[in-house]
Amino acid sequence: MNSKTKTARRVVGVATAVVLAAGASACGSGGAGGGAKAGGFTYWSMWRAGEPQAKVIQAAIDRFQSDTGIKVDVTWAGRDVTKKIGPAIAARQAPDLWDQGADAVYAATAQAGQALDLSDVLGMEVPGEGKKVADVIPAKYLDALPKDPNGKNHYIIPYEVSSAGLFYNAADPDLAAAMPTAPATWADFLKVCDALKAKGRACLASDGELAWENGLTLDYLLAAGGVDFSALSSDKSGASWDNPAVLTAVQQVEQLVKGGYLLGGYDATKFPAQETNWSAGKAAFYSDGSWVTDEVAKQVPADWKMGAMLPPGATNADSMLFGFSMPRTAKNVAPAQKFIAYFQQQKVLGGISTEAGNITPRSDIPAPAVLADVQKALNSAPVRLTYGGVAGSYPTKVFNQNFLDLWHGKTSAEQFVSTMKSDQVSFWKSQD
Amino acid sequence: MATALQDRTAVRREGRPPAGSGAAPLERQHRRIFWPFAGPALLVYAVLFLAPIGYAAWTSLYKWDGMGAKQWRGLHNYQVLFGDPAFRTSLLNTLEILVVGGAITFAISLALTLVLREMRARLFARSVLFFPCLVNAMVFGIAAGFLFSPDGPVNTVLHWLGVAAPPKWLATDNLFPMIVATLVWTATGYYTAIIMAAVDQIPEYLYEAAELDGASAFQRFRHVTLPLAWDVISVCAVLWTVSSVKIFELILMYGGSSSNQPPVSTWNTAMYVYTEAFPQTSAPQLGMATAAALVSLVMVGVITLALRRLMRRTAVEY
Repeated sequence: MNSKTKTARRVVGVATAVVLAAGASACGSGGAGGGAKAGGFTYWSMWRAGEPQAKVIQAAIDRFQSDTGIKVDVTWAGRDVTKKIGPAIAARQAPDLWDQGADAVYAATAQAGQALDLSDVLGMEVPGEGKKVADVIPAKYLDALPKDPNGKNHYIIPYEVSSAGLFYNAADPDLAAAMPTAPATWADFLKVCDALKAKGRACLASDGELAWENGLTLDYLLAAGGVDFSALSSDKSGASWDNPAVLTAVQQVEQLVKGGYLLGGYDATKFPAQETNWSAGKAAFYSDGSWVTDEVAKQVPADWKMGAMLPPGATNADSMLFGFSMPRTAKNVAPAQKFIAYFQQQKVLGGISTEAGNITPRSDIPAPAVLADVQKALNSAPVRLTYGGVAGSYPTKVFNQNFLDLWHGKTSAEQFVSTMKSDQVSFWKSQD
Repeated sequence: MATALQDRTAVRREGRPPAGSGAAPLERQHRRIFWPFAGPALLVYAVLFLAPIGYAAWTSLYKWDGMGAKQWRGLHNYQVLFGDPAFRTSLLNTLEILVVGGAITFAISLALTLVLREMRARLFARSVLFFPCLVNAMVFGIAAGFLFSPDGPVNTVLHWLGVAAPPKWLATDNLFPMIVATLVWTATGYYTAIIMAAVDQIPEYLYEAAELDGASAFQRFRHVTLPLAWDVISVCAVLWTVSSVKIFELILMYGGSSSNQPPVSTWNTAMYVYTEAFPQTSAPQLGMATAAALVSLVMVGVITLALRRLMRRTAVEY
């Protein structure tokens, strides 16, 4: 499921596609080393010029060019760079360097063996720090990634990490009274919800049309029960759904729905209506990726204190990486790799936190205050992939509709499990 | 009355002269200049339309991600396609938009024609009706979230009217009917405008004669307007068929978000092609995408031919 990026709203995405289509020829002429004269390299970015990350990267490029004399030919392509990269590789017009979410990099290139193994970069020195890249990026992030056909998962060097969870206002007096300490179990969490309900407050706000965001809780509860979504969803026989731990997790989600803990009207609105309600304090929690803090930054009242926690019972945060990747066909390998290592310097990478307001993989760069809880969760234990990194059309064709039926109270936990099982079997049959 | 009317007004269009042996000098001239004139157009058509369709047909026989080598799959893609519940839903939805949406659109358009011909300020009314067609469908997709939210303007008005429990407009189950309704709303003005243009050409004296014969408003519509505007209506039907199959952005805007595709229950074949060609988290399945596109091309072709045949009438001249 696509981790990226709710901030890039669909409208913007469509607009970008148009711009990209117009600019494709420009990219083409600059690609394949065409614009990279002696010692330079080409770079297509997932950011559009003017976005905070683009500003941080542009500043790094400027310093890199003056420090090393290596010319960087950058194109601010936007999110749809993912759709451009494959055809560009096929046409031998691909850039030497590009960046995206790890799931997008895997889907667009690594899965087909089209991404360069960047293990060399991990062994390179971070300029001026006397450490290697592998020393500053915790290995757990790359270890969690799916492997390409060559058995390698070093096809991305991350510079930004997101995670999902339940977000809340720690300064909310009702919530503070209901939840003096973080609940340890799901039953404790429901007690918090009950206490809120007694005060006439909804526990959870939910944009009910969104399967990915709302399903995050199920994904975490499955993980808490020892079920890996990747193994669960890739089982062609569907037998994995018979695991009692699966039903338990689904029943826990059902308790949220049946218990009336969701802010009313959630199944009859369009995003971001309920996110807005949450930021206005109408419900205590909201389940989403950590970019939600940025989305509501301008709406929340001044005394709002952003808190985040994993759905109780879960111990391992999920991680969604964004970082640099190189196509297998890259021509100017050495200078591009040098830039990747250059970008990992604390003073350069720090801009992702201070300027762009995001978490970096380096644990010695503090996250922005609103994301402090998320960084703590990421740092404290091994990480896992959101939905086990499930890819392809499985979410759309199997999970989303069934999950929304459960989430809207149309099906019971048992019905959900049995339709998931049968739909999954027929899905995998159609994929042969 | 209809026959009387036709006897008075209708003249059968002369058939084409039978293709002669080519002895006439003018005929020979025509033949000589046919290819020099038609050739360039045919060439452009072949290069820009036929060749891509041929290439798509070729691609549909392979498994291909657009980057690596193509793997031969033969007709297996088509087998998979029809075995895929998502595609079957898409196909049914496409037909539902085409048939149900089309029937409603044309029923309303023709009813409006009946009213508009006789009313005052009809030019103004026509402009108002045409307006929704000028607005980009994406605007509706975005505006719907505001208009139809539980405490949005629509429900507020319904509340004033005494409706205590209005439907959950934006619930997943209602998405597809909402999409069809929006399509009907935008298309009605468009087809009304075209049909009205044809109706305006019908001479007034025919209506006067019909009125003298004692025809009611509906009978005038049935026996004068409908037969005399039939050619245009049948062209409109073809236009609707072709355009309804290509509808896409409305579905994407209504049901999708940046991290979720629209629910499968709202897909049509165009949406299916899009999701196969531009999946969010996997390599493109260009073979499947082109196979789905070809199936919908064949479907439109067959339906268009059938419509043309069904709606063929002897042309009426006036």
